[in-house]
Amino acid sequence: MSVITEPLTDTVRIDDGGAKRRRIVRKVVSYTILLLFAVFYVGPLLILVGASMKTLPEFFKHPTGLPDGLNFDNFSEAWQLASFPKFLINSLIYTTVATFLFVIMSVFVAFPIARGYVKGARALLTLYVVALFLPPALIPQFQLILNLGLYNTRQGYILLFLINPIGLIILVNYIKSVPKELDESAAVDGCGYIRFVFSILIPLIRPAIATVTVIHAIGIWNELILATVYLTNDDLYPITRGLIVFEGVYGSDWPKLAAAVLMLMFPMMVLFMFLQRYIISGLTSGAVKG
Amino acid sequence: MAAHQVRLFGRGRRRFTPWLLLFPGLFFYFLIGVGPSLATFVYSLTDATGIKGIPINWVGFKNFDDFLFQGARSRDNLDALKRTLIFMILVTVIQFAMGLLMAVLVNQKLRGRLVFRTLFFIPVILGVAVQGLMWKLFLRPGGGPMNDIFGWFGLESQFLTGSNAFYWVIVVQIWANAGFTMIVFLAGMQTIPADLYEAAAVDGATGWQLFRNITWPQLTPAINTNLLLNIVGSLQAWMLFLVLTGYKNGTQVLGYVVYAEAFGQTGTGSFRQGYAAAASVVLFVLVLVLGMAANFVVGRRERKYMA
Repeated sequence: MSVITEPLTDTVRIDDGGAKRRRIVRKVVSYTILLLFAVFYVGPLLILVGASMKTLPEFFKHPTGLPDGLNFDNFSEAWQLASFPKFLINSLIYTTVATFLFVIMSVFVAFPIARGYVKGARALLTLYVVALFLPPALIPQFQLILNLGLYNTRQGYILLFLINPIGLIILVNYIKSVPKELDESAAVDGCGYIRFVFSILIPLIRPAIATVTVIHAIGIWNELILATVYLTNDDLYPITRGLIVFEGVYGSDWPKLAAAVLMLMFPMMVLFMFLQRYIISGLTSGAVKG
Repeated sequence: MAAHQVRLFGRGRRRFTPWLLLFPGLFFYFLIGVGPSLATFVYSLTDATGIKGIPINWVGFKNFDDFLFQGARSRDNLDALKRTLIFMILVTVIQFAMGLLMAVLVNQKLRGRLVFRTLFFIPVILGVAVQGLMWKLFLRPGGGPMNDIFGWFGLESQFLTGSNAFYWVIVVQIWANAGFTMIVFLAGMQTIPADLYEAAAVDGATGWQLFRNITWPQLTPAINTNLLLNIVGSLQAWMLFLVLTGYKNGTQVLGYVVYAEAFGQTGTGSFRQGYAAAASVVLFVLVLVLGMAANFVVGRRERKYMA
């Protein structure tokens, strides 16, 4: 489903003078409200970009105005001071490893559930839906990780991201739309279960896989709380935690902080531009079906 | 056919492979998802700390009693509970209305509507660290950008450090999530058949009548989804408080109390995880009751419009 398509309202209208005038008034009102919202939305972002190019005294003197010129010193300084490369690599490791493992395991959970190839498939699906309403796992999860000796380790942190009930539900729903005759003829032709999943099913459900990959990865990339709870060694921090630590140390140097925030935002913005469709469909289908 | 049946996935000798391969995913789901979720109820009846090696004892309902009824702490907790409800009401009402208005506006044939849509949606994917820090800079008291803007109008505020901090967090919360509400509404609007509007327009219906008599009733599923998501989501939201204000009396909501008590962020430094689990159960009951109430209201609406 793509949300960013043509609207369906505003179709043919009987034209007379009154209608035309009404349409113009409506346009003016619409744009006025939209621009007000746009100011609310872009304002903080523009201020952030402006601040990132100012020196500290300049920022204190004119926090809202344009910077004196294009000055990227804050970025290079923040990059070094914040140990950004280290945190960035950690974030990349957590995001890619956990997302990859989660998606592979989930396909093998979703496929037999969608098809009823295992007993109690319906009960299993209900289990995933119900979990969305249970209390957060935070505290017992902490006790578990602690007792497994995985506190403050990469493995322990990755383990936390191997589940995502909404992602699984999206996969199940999508697989249901793939005709079952495919499985049957493949099976009769002697195709193995694993081979079927990898060479026939996965290519067919690529849009759902893309969607789930993207929303799961975004969740890991943005995670702050679990990184605060489970990691105390700064060699293991992901970039979100690194940013908060940076704020704690250099928080009074607002332009540098602004530069650091922008550097963390940048990969997300690029990703969004390319994967908008999957992000939106993932979030909305998760919302509607969850 | 019988011979073929035996060779199908999930049948005969092929019964076991699906189970075998399903197992890892299901195992982790129980281990770190459902299992711990359910264990929260068990932990709420113990004096667990977050420290390895310290024995855990049963204390019955003492945590609940302490949390709700004993001493100054419990009065703070009840204040937090009240604040959670205020947060929920304000966020739900404003975010719902704003998301709907934005969706209606960008669903028209206007030049630049895609740009507006993207702008309103972007904060949703940024995560609390970026959302929070961006606004913290924007709302810096004394010489920050917003302070400057307030100055133009002769206004003054301490923003996140003053007595209205709670309401500024609400502003950021709505800024961060209204785009999501908008997208759900937009998805709903695009399922409304265009000929409904055409027929009504031929009959001379005005814009408001079109909205009132076609868009609003046809949008029922999206309205219900958004209402439920906003209520449940805002009851459980607390992470922007962590980034924007930190833990301090006068702003904390229940979700933050749970986290702070469990992980030694209340200033006392102790990890009271049994107590925090009890707080977590209180929040869960609140979400359950209000979620079910909303679901009931929403269900009646659905029967009314969809019948």
